[in-house]
Amino acid sequence: MPAILIRRLATAIPTLFAVVLLSFLLMRVAPGSPFDSERPLDPAIRAAMERAYGLDQPLPVQLGRYLANIATGDFGPSLVYKDFTVSKLIAQGLPVSLQLGGLALLLAALLGVGGGIAGALRPGGWIDRSVSVASSLAVALPSFVTGPVLALVFALWLAWLPVSGLGGPSSLVLPVIALALPVAGAVARLTRTGLAAALAQDHVRTARARGIAPVRVIVRHALPPALIPVVSYLGPAAAGLLTGAVVIETVFGLPGLGRYFVQGALNRDYPLVMGVVILYAGLILLFNLIADLLYGWLDPRVRG
Amino acid sequence: MTLYAVEHLSLEIGGARILEDVGFAVAAGGCTALVGASGSGKTMSCFAPFGLAAGRPRGSARLEGAELIGLDERALRPLRARAGFVFQQPLTALTPHLTIGAQLAESASALGGARPDRRAMAAMLDRVGLSDPEAKLDQWPHRLSGGERQRVMIACATAHGPRLLVADEPTSALDAELRHAILDVIGRLREDGLGVLLVSHDLPLVARHADRVVVMDAGRVVEDGPARAVIETPAQEVTRALIAASPRLDSPPPDLPVPGAPLIEARGIAVGFRTPGWRRGRFQAVADAGFALAEGEALAIVGRSGSGKSTLARAVARLGPCDSGAVLWRGRPLPPRARMGTAERRLIQPVFQDPAASLDPRWTVAQSIAEPLRNLIPAMDDAARAARVGAVLDEVELGERFAARRPGELSGGQAQRVAIARALAADPEAILLDEATSALDVLVAGRILALLGRLQASRRLAILAITHDLAVAHALCHRLAVMEAGRIVEIGPVPQLLASPQSAALTRLVAAQ
Repeated sequence: MPAILIRRLATAIPTLFAVVLLSFLLMRVAPGSPFDSERPLDPAIRAAMERAYGLDQPLPVQLGRYLANIATGDFGPSLVYKDFTVSKLIAQGLPVSLQLGGLALLLAALLGVGGGIAGALRPGGWIDRSVSVASSLAVALPSFVTGPVLALVFALWLAWLPVSGLGGPSSLVLPVIALALPVAGAVARLTRTGLAAALAQDHVRTARARGIAPVRVIVRHALPPALIPVVSYLGPAAAGLLTGAVVIETVFGLPGLGRYFVQGALNRDYPLVMGVVILYAGLILLFNLIADLLYGWLDPRVRG
Repeated sequence: MTLYAVEHLSLEIGGARILEDVGFAVAAGGCTALVGASGSGKTMSCFAPFGLAAGRPRGSARLEGAELIGLDERALRPLRARAGFVFQQPLTALTPHLTIGAQLAESASALGGARPDRRAMAAMLDRVGLSDPEAKLDQWPHRLSGGERQRVMIACATAHGPRLLVADEPTSALDAELRHAILDVIGRLREDGLGVLLVSHDLPLVARHADRVVVMDAGRVVEDGPARAVIETPAQEVTRALIAASPRLDSPPPDLPVPGAPLIEARGIAVGFRTPGWRRGRFQAVADAGFALAEGEALAIVGRSGSGKSTLARAVARLGPCDSGAVLWRGRPLPPRARMGTAERRLIQPVFQDPAASLDPRWTVAQSIAEPLRNLIPAMDDAARAARVGAVLDEVELGERFAARRPGELSGGQAQRVAIARALAADPEAILLDEATSALDVLVAGRILALLGRLQASRRLAILAITHDLAVAHALCHRLAVMEAGRIVEIGPVPQLLASPQSAALTRLVAAQ
């Protein structure tokens, strides 16, 4: 356990560095600048602004400066949202995204694993077939379809929940459901397939021969190995959910992190994009580490 | 006193008759053995009444007077708890993510029994002959050897105090020494009145441990009687065939071809592996081992599981790692595999234990056999290749009608013949048999051994046979090398070594036969 942690941290630092380097260079290679707008800017003013933000320096110098700054935790100022630092923007958007993504993740895992187990209890039964159809549908429908449809039905027609904006727990219900559905569908399918394979294994027959009740056989003996593909899928998916779902945030008017990412990229707001990319990469590394630790718990053989 | 009685048991699956009018009984404290070739219905007869096999049987099966047939899963579960079950594959039959202690506690308390404390569980492990039982409670199954896992299986199967133990080939995945040790453990449990239903195709083993033998063939019982009487004076042809096929060390030595010029010489072979885990270490699997093999000669490497026999043979055949030592082929050094040319790769071809696993399930038999030809003799054209495939299929007595089949359509013995044909296709000078008959039942294994003997004579093929079964060595090989803890402790002509074993390892193996 400590060995894997140390090894993972040792590889995480060069990985993060490579991500920073690549995204820094890619952003600069892309045409356009943060100061482009409808009206052409006076060259003198443009030069002054570039000097103020250090963009007139050669690229290696800019990169060196940026690396030195992030090492001290300073992600720089936003070039577009004047008077805001990148850290401040992330601090505003991240809690909303974390709430939305965390709840969606929880709901997706519960619905998906629960649905998968319910299907596996009676293979080919009506529950199994309904779960299979529902999960295919959930995976196939993009969230820019389910989001507006949910808003239309539950907010506009039935008026049970608010249409958009952030205000109290009720405003999160629809976005969380819309965000969770495709993930829940994928988890249900992975769980069901994994369980079908696990239930055919010898140790499950041994457990049945011991006179253990069917539900307990599934949950205790068959489920852990069946969850390994689910964990591999949920690791990166969790990082994506938590760092902001652009479409859902836009449809439901939530001030999360996703829109900063998109707007930052469109506006060439270099520091903002870099900040969000580093956060995203860090979360990916973190969730992959958690997934690896979970593998060891689900199947002690991988611990060696 | 009859503990478990099966009468008029029949079973149909998808219109095919699997069992017909099967009947047998197990006495309290007795051991009834079901024997027969694979596919004769012995496993089904054991598990179908308990709802642990496909299909719904008809007839009657009464355990302590309670009828099992015709009950649904809910009603059957409490009755199932009056029996304990041990399965064939110790490697896969335990849940990998639960510790031994957790599984033992669960077995003991599955149907409302009290959860045993650690001391009681350690006592259960001690009873089945596991060393250091207290520490084993916290281990996961994959940390234990095959024999240890099978002991854990028996402990779990008897933890809740069942009246009947059903054991399906409990020892056929284990080496000869372990077989008797495991059955001795089961024998001791019988002293407390436990009845045992044992499934086996190993007649010498059954003769020593069972008191009643039921012979099955094609889903029917053909003979039933006291073990000694059935084995010494078999009344039925099926039983006589089973007994004749069981390899025996006291049968006259076979007529083996005279060895020719020296072919392989291995000297000072050493192979080590890194041990996994937090504390790294090295495990010396083979140390300073060497042997010679001549044209047309067969050498058996025997030893218990983990003694390094496969590692040595694979190092010599350049199929596995080899840290140091030299292999000479007709006096010339054989390079490591990466630097071998096609001519050198052709020299020795392997046949592995599990034929089903060593053939690609999506390929036809012809494709599998043609593959070494494609790689090792690239100049051969399609017509010549097809002709060669047909010829080797004839050589292994299958014939060309098998060419278009896939492994799923073959029996175990047929699949092993295909694997042998594949090994022979490119005309090797030697073949490596890695437990090539131990996954097959006695009748099939006997026929494969006979085939190998004929090929040895007709092709003047050198054979390196890895086995834990001395009878295989006796039937096929000129010389015997005995391995223990990575070293060759004894090497010499088979009859001589079997008559007067010098090493402790060989003495144990001979005694276990």
